[in-house]
Amino acid sequence: MFEIIKNMFRRKLRTALTVFGIAIGILALVVMGGIAEKLDLLVKGGTDYYADKVQVQSAESNFFITTPLTLDKGEELKKVDGAKCVAASIGTTLDKELEAVNFGPPPLIQGRQTECDQYESFEITLTDGRDITDDDRGKVVLGADLIKKFEAEIGKEIEIRGKKYEIVGLMEKTFTAPDSVALMSFHDAQLVIYEDLPEIVKSQLKATEVTNGFIVNPDNGTDPNELARTLESEVKDIKAVGPKDFEDSIASTVGTFTSIIYGIAIISLLVGTLSIINTMTMSISERTKEIGVKKAIGAKTQDILIEYLTEAGLIGLLGGAIGIGLGTLLVYVINSAMEKTGDKIFLLTPRLLWGALIFSVVLGVVAGIYPALHAARLSIVKSLREE
Amino acid sequence: MAEIVLKLEKVTKTYIMGQNRSAGKAYNAIRKYHKKYESICAKNDEKLEKKMGKTLERAQTAFAKEKYELAYKTITGKNLKKNLKDKGVVVHALNGVDLEIKKGEMIAIMGPSGSGKSTLLNALGLIDDVSSGKVYIDGILASKLKAGKLPEIRAKKLGFVFQSYNLIPTLSALENVMLALRYSGAGRGERRKKAEEALKLVGLGDRMKHTPNELSGGQRQRVAIARSLVNEPAVIFGDELTGELDTKTSTEIMNLLIALNKKKGQTFIIVTHNPEVAKMCQRTIRMRDGKIVK
Repeated sequence: MFEIIKNMFRRKLRTALTVFGIAIGILALVVMGGIAEKLDLLVKGGTDYYADKVQVQSAESNFFITTPLTLDKGEELKKVDGAKCVAASIGTTLDKELEAVNFGPPPLIQGRQTECDQYESFEITLTDGRDITDDDRGKVVLGADLIKKFEAEIGKEIEIRGKKYEIVGLMEKTFTAPDSVALMSFHDAQLVIYEDLPEIVKSQLKATEVTNGFIVNPDNGTDPNELARTLESEVKDIKAVGPKDFEDSIASTVGTFTSIIYGIAIISLLVGTLSIINTMTMSISERTKEIGVKKAIGAKTQDILIEYLTEAGLIGLLGGAIGIGLGTLLVYVINSAMEKTGDKIFLLTPRLLWGALIFSVVLGVVAGIYPALHAARLSIVKSLREE
Repeated sequence: MAEIVLKLEKVTKTYIMGQNRSAGKAYNAIRKYHKKYESICAKNDEKLEKKMGKTLERAQTAFAKEKYELAYKTITGKNLKKNLKDKGVVVHALNGVDLEIKKGEMIAIMGPSGSGKSTLLNALGLIDDVSSGKVYIDGILASKLKAGKLPEIRAKKLGFVFQSYNLIPTLSALENVMLALRYSGAGRGERRKKAEEALKLVGLGDRMKHTPNELSGGQRQRVAIARSLVNEPAVIFGDELTGELDTKTSTEIMNLLIALNKKKGQTFIIVTHNPEVAKMCQRTIRMRDGKIVK
């Protein structure tokens, strides 16, 4: 083993450049993978959240912009077969204007009626304080990523859209959407979206009549996807999103995006692989005579093979370790810089880091196979003649 | 007849306790033919009886010869031929070489360039194959072994000392010697102990940690000699091993080999251009045009 390490550094610059090549590839894999992992978790969180319910919005809404509905729509929804419980739910952006660059869901204000809470399977744990109740006015519970943004602590007053709110609870980190949510009572949320409405609409409606969505829990045995279709066909001017719709629209898009991200990283690694092949081929041609000598004094083909594969694997391992180190550092720096906006782009998971390390070693070994086989099969007499 | 077979059986049984498979084959053939012979004798067919008798005799002779190889010879080459193609022209690098080298001999092979001395050394040392002929090493018909078996024979039975030392530059003297022990399958602790002993034997007890770059030519060749003898091989081959050394160092190295030959009964086969080196050996084989000349 010691000999192999010595051999690696016979040509210091060449080995260093190869290791650096792998390191850059692995760095790309770690950083890109960090984005993919974050997206993956967000999608998983969304999938879990939507698993057993139907979300209803106004027909004109899209995923990012919601237009208001009135509460009497809820009465219509309740009459549809298969709907067990209907609760109005408000979701709107925390800041009135969307920030230009946003990764994942933007920070949101949420407030919902509590009638159907007993059917809710998606649970949020608080690390401190208490949950929001219907009667709360001017109180807020903050998601984990917003805690930093507001330098939050229980009892502190913060300003959201020009109004003061007292923090009463802090949520545990979930790594998914709820991390960037400010929960308030349904009544307070109504006031927020009412403020956004055009004057002409305001003149016809009271703040207590508006919402911008409903959550419909299906009866036992009713498929939420079917319920979504039934709701759309029986209630006018609404759009119903079931678990499958979420999967189809978001999860699959994000899945493709993730594949592209990994694809780019892997292409950059291919370059590193080629440089290992080059380095090993060069090393072997320089050490042809030594290989001949080793075989003449009794080395088996497999001894030579193992020696060179180990060397290639070590180059991969070293490159991988450095790449992971630099990648982790870079991710840490960017995440820290973005923490104040409550938006972390990267998520480094153990499976990503271990995967990258194992991948770098496998890559080294695979890249070493051809040169090592070539070395092991050299004729002794011919190798000994080399200078 | 029966008496001879019984005697042969006895010898063969002792013989089979060793490792020689070809002698085992000879023994089986003799037994098989003997059984047939007896059944034919019972039939009173004179013509067949005579024919079988001759076959049996041949088998017995073959066996006796193989037995002889094992008892007296370290290395034997029989009718060795090596044909090389050079631009479509066939060159007979070895053209029917027969030689027998006894245990404990120190032999020089001399001859002009291109006479086939290195080709012969490579063939006997199992680092190159022959076009036809047989090589026996320590009683084993090595030229018929599968490629996968050769490294073990090279590691355990043969040692090589080259003109340009051929040490691994990144390894210390001790590690270079230990490498040969690793390939012969010695355990870690044993490797160090034996390698240290071998280096002391060649007078480098105080240079073990030095890398080849830190050693003189003569010292490097001593390391190479230590590496070649550390597995106690049946034979050590030297290919122009004094070729890069000055006269004084050459003599020192040759004296070392003579001492090892006397002290340990180590067999040496040395290819050389230098008559002084050849003179120090017990016997000189001269080669010309791929053949041994008297």
